[in-house]
Amino acid sequence: MADERVKVTIDGKEHEVQKGSNLLEACNAAGANVPFFCYHPGLSSPAVCRQCLVEVKGAPKPVPSCYTQCTDGMVVETKSEKALDVRRQMLEFTLVNHPIDCPICDKAGECMLQQQYFDWDGKYARNEGIKYRKAKTVDIGKHIVLDQERCILCTRCIRVCDEVAKAPELTMAKRGSSEVLTTAPGKRLDNPYSLNTVDVCPVGALTSKDFRFQMRAWELESTPSVCTGCATGCNVEIHASRGQIYRMIPRDNAAVNKHWMCDEGRFTYKPVHQHRAAVPVVGGAPVAWDTALDEAGRRLKAVLQSEKDRVGVVFNANSTNEDLHVLARLAFDHLGIARAYVAGRDQGSSDDILISADKNCNTAGVRAIGGTKLKSLVDLASDVKSGAIAALIVVGDDGVLGSGGRDGLDALPLNQLETLIVLASHSGALTDSAHVVLPMALWAELNGTFTNKLGMVQRVHKAIDPAGDSLPGWEILCHLSRRLDAAIDFDSARAVFVEAKQKYSFMIGAEWGRVHLPIQLRFAASRG
Amino acid sequence: MSAAEDTSLTPRRIVIGIQDKSDLDAPELPSDPMPLNMGPSHPAMHGTVRMVLEVVGEKIASADVQVGYLHRCFEKESEYATWTQIFPYTDRLNYVSPMLNNVGYALAVEKLLDIDKKVPERAQYIRVIVGEIARACDHMTCLGAGGMELGAFTAFLYMVKAREWLWELLEEISGARLTHSFVRVGGVTGDLPDGWAEKLRAKIVDVRRVLAEVDGLLTRNRIFRDRMDGLGIITKEQAASYGITGPVARATGLDYDVRKDYPYLVYDQFDFDVPVGSVGDNFDRYACRVEEIQQSLRIVEQALDKIPAGPIVMADPRIVLPPKTETYNTIEAMISHFKLIMDGIHVPAGEIYSFTEGGNGELGFYVVSDGTGRPWKLHCRAPSFANTAIMPSLLPGHFIADIVPIFGMINMIGGECDR
Amino acid sequence: MAQQVLDRLKSHFQGGELEDTGSQHGNEWARVRRQDWHAVCQFLRDDGETTMDFFIDITAVDRLTQVPEDRPRFDVVIHLRSSRTKHRVRLLVGVSEADPTVDSLCDLWAGANWFERETFDMYGIRFNNHPDLRRILMYPEFIGHPLRKDYPKEKRQPLVRRDGAADGGGWK
Repeated sequence: MADERVKVTIDGKEHEVQKGSNLLEACNAAGANVPFFCYHPGLSSPAVCRQCLVEVKGAPKPVPSCYTQCTDGMVVETKSEKALDVRRQMLEFTLVNHPIDCPICDKAGECMLQQQYFDWDGKYARNEGIKYRKAKTVDIGKHIVLDQERCILCTRCIRVCDEVAKAPELTMAKRGSSEVLTTAPGKRLDNPYSLNTVDVCPVGALTSKDFRFQMRAWELESTPSVCTGCATGCNVEIHASRGQIYRMIPRDNAAVNKHWMCDEGRFTYKPVHQHRAAVPVVGGAPVAWDTALDEAGRRLKAVLQSEKDRVGVVFNANSTNEDLHVLARLAFDHLGIARAYVAGRDQGSSDDILISADKNCNTAGVRAIGGTKLKSLVDLASDVKSGAIAALIVVGDDGVLGSGGRDGLDALPLNQLETLIVLASHSGALTDSAHVVLPMALWAELNGTFTNKLGMVQRVHKAIDPAGDSLPGWEILCHLSRRLDAAIDFDSARAVFVEAKQKYSFMIGAEWGRVHLPIQLRFAASRG
Repeated sequence: MSAAEDTSLTPRRIVIGIQDKSDLDAPELPSDPMPLNMGPSHPAMHGTVRMVLEVVGEKIASADVQVGYLHRCFEKESEYATWTQIFPYTDRLNYVSPMLNNVGYALAVEKLLDIDKKVPERAQYIRVIVGEIARACDHMTCLGAGGMELGAFTAFLYMVKAREWLWELLEEISGARLTHSFVRVGGVTGDLPDGWAEKLRAKIVDVRRVLAEVDGLLTRNRIFRDRMDGLGIITKEQAASYGITGPVARATGLDYDVRKDYPYLVYDQFDFDVPVGSVGDNFDRYACRVEEIQQSLRIVEQALDKIPAGPIVMADPRIVLPPKTETYNTIEAMISHFKLIMDGIHVPAGEIYSFTEGGNGELGFYVVSDGTGRPWKLHCRAPSFANTAIMPSLLPGHFIADIVPIFGMINMIGGECDR
Repeated sequence: MAQQVLDRLKSHFQGGELEDTGSQHGNEWARVRRQDWHAVCQFLRDDGETTMDFFIDITAVDRLTQVPEDRPRFDVVIHLRSSRTKHRVRLLVGVSEADPTVDSLCDLWAGANWFERETFDMYGIRFNNHPDLRRILMYPEFIGHPLRKDYPKEKRQPLVRRDGAADGGGWK
């Protein structure tokens, strides 16, 4: 029954679709470009906006295609005179009370209303009446501002809260011209998925406080990537302009995150621009790369020759698979270091929607690559205290070892170490104690892969240039390896991936994929 | 015997009443081919072009004409600009007749949008009027500069004075003497101001008077004729093979004018002639241009008589910016304004080669659209580029002094040739 | 501009030389197979019916991201006209990035010389048997082909005169 195919004629051409599939999706898959506001592939379809009306032979009036299922022999006209006229009328109604806000509205440039007026209406206004006034800047939640006048009453946000976040915090109130979006009595828009309402809002009614007035949409360039906030690995798009990231929005992936992501994940772009370790540092003073690498090599060589069993390596559950692979090769295969530890962020809250308790984005990767040798930070602390470790190479730190607390920096008497080499992206207590700091690029600045909790190896693409002089971790380790007479050489992250894929079973089936150059949003179709 | 036929090494001498012939028997001086660089910065090289010549005595043995010194990446920039933002770039192609470039480009985009028949008639007449004024100015500049380079400075000053009158009128209608950006997709930006038509008619009378004066100075001038007659002869077959168009081609006898052969705008409504030469030498090119100015003025007068009342721009908010009163007061016009400025006109995907008669010949725009508000490719087929291509084969056999009039009459406009 | 030209081409070339023909916005066009480029153009010039003696334009289009990966990246485009019939036609030939060469038409129309030089300069397409294939708009030491879609618009190159530059500065 699910695989039964039916024949539907759309605009004169016959198409074969699955029985019962959504007519709007079938039309748009056939290239008819039927406009819509309230429909969203991830939400239920209430057919409130009536923008997707098409003519179906045999039906007495135009039908909303988002609410209609395909049946065998259906004949659909999406561009007949009646259909176009009705489309225009609906847009006219929608625009009747819409405020003239385009110059100050954040959604301008990615607004569905603008796009559909331009494509399907194109007539000057007929009504000269005064527009109905509503509240302009309503603070309805922790992250969101509502402009009631711009709202076109499509109810997508209400359905997101109800169906995706399972937190019915929004509702429509009143009727007719005075109908407004508002919070349910006693509630605020505070659920952990609230910012998805900003994504699905076709107009600029719901705007993110973080992004409001920061940057115009058409100046942004979009790069596909993966969120590194937890082990779910929601697919995202990084929107950046001139080396600065402004926001992250979810990218569709039916297997991982469908069309959504959590609010906390959206803010993981902020640390990319804060407290970065940007230059190599030796003994507290910034130096050139060669100097730092030579110093690190010298120190490590000395201790490796005399007391190899007192050298430790700390892997990080947030490093890319490429960084981990090169580190494993260097530490285990070439240098024969026995003591290996794994560091990561603390566990946190979770829910059964998207948020994982494991706040590390590559736990699966580090377990597979590091193997069973990896010990925890607690063991590291006791080993350092007991003097079993004299030298430590820490790869990857985004404040995790410096977070304090039981597993954090407080427990580690770093001053006891004779040699502490840190490959870090952020400066903090750990880099302050290090003898050599080698600055690392972060996930948004490099090409690499992470493995989520489902075992899927997902690719991140480079959105902006690395901060300061920082380099990807695997590249730093290659340079370091040369100083340690263990020359590991890769000319690209892709080369590392290719080698790692042959070695680790969890990477079977993983693809590096095509190069993605950042795409300017000004050429992209409207969001929604 | 014309210079092109004289292949001996003795320099040509004009004997004027010299009775003592002893200097005519002077022994021939030995001469090796000498490289001579002309340009790119040279008073007679309009629009910067470099000619690397090999001369034997005074005679040119070979000429390597190197263009590209004024290349300003018109095509690359167009790929990143909206359709409307390209108009100022087109102004700077053939910068002595910018209106013609504006019109040519607008027609190309309009054809892709399938609205070329829907542009209001008044706008089409205005386009013809300003286009023909621009053509007249282009030819006046060419002839004046051509005269000046041969020493007839007065001719240049007279022509430039006449040109300035016309430019004042264009300034009144568009706001700028030279870089008008006057035309838009779907119409023009401004209507004829009150009294402009009368001023133009009066000025045409004055311009004709100046043209008659310059004609008297140059056309039967012994020195001018000696330097122009029989030089730089191009044949009809050469013109077709090189793709030479415009007055240079018509001077060869090739009867090809886009306005007559493939009429566009409202050119089929006017009664005008197209001068065609017979010899294809410098003088024919000069004469064609002189006559074309007269015909352009004739077209302008007829257009002023026939121009209908009406709108000057299409009333489609998807193509033309809405009036400001609408933009500030209705959301529909605001959206239209916004999308037109930020996205650009959504021109359906496709490609077209659209061509008009520019000042120097067939000005073509090969436009490839990918369906967005910016072109995927915008190639300008510059008539000057094709016309200048014949120079390396035209110059050899002529004297160094002949380069200047030949090059002047080919009228390479650097901005158009190099784009 | 001229359906007759397309008909004549289609009736004369039946062996797959014409990959596609069409008419759009009043422009007739034909897509030619690369190895037959010269032959088809020569036919158009010499045939008594088409007599395309008037050369108009040669350029190229970089179709990067618009064509699937197995199709050639560039299209070399020529526009021709007949003085006698006033017909016009556009011919396109697909040129791949891996082997960006196509036959030159300099022996058919003299104007092809400079236009092919410009196409080479801007797109890097080499024309076989071209008598003088060097850059025409850019200076000889320029590296790259600017109108290609992957050449960034903002890229700057200083003009540095190096000995042994491609054409020696014009002295042959």
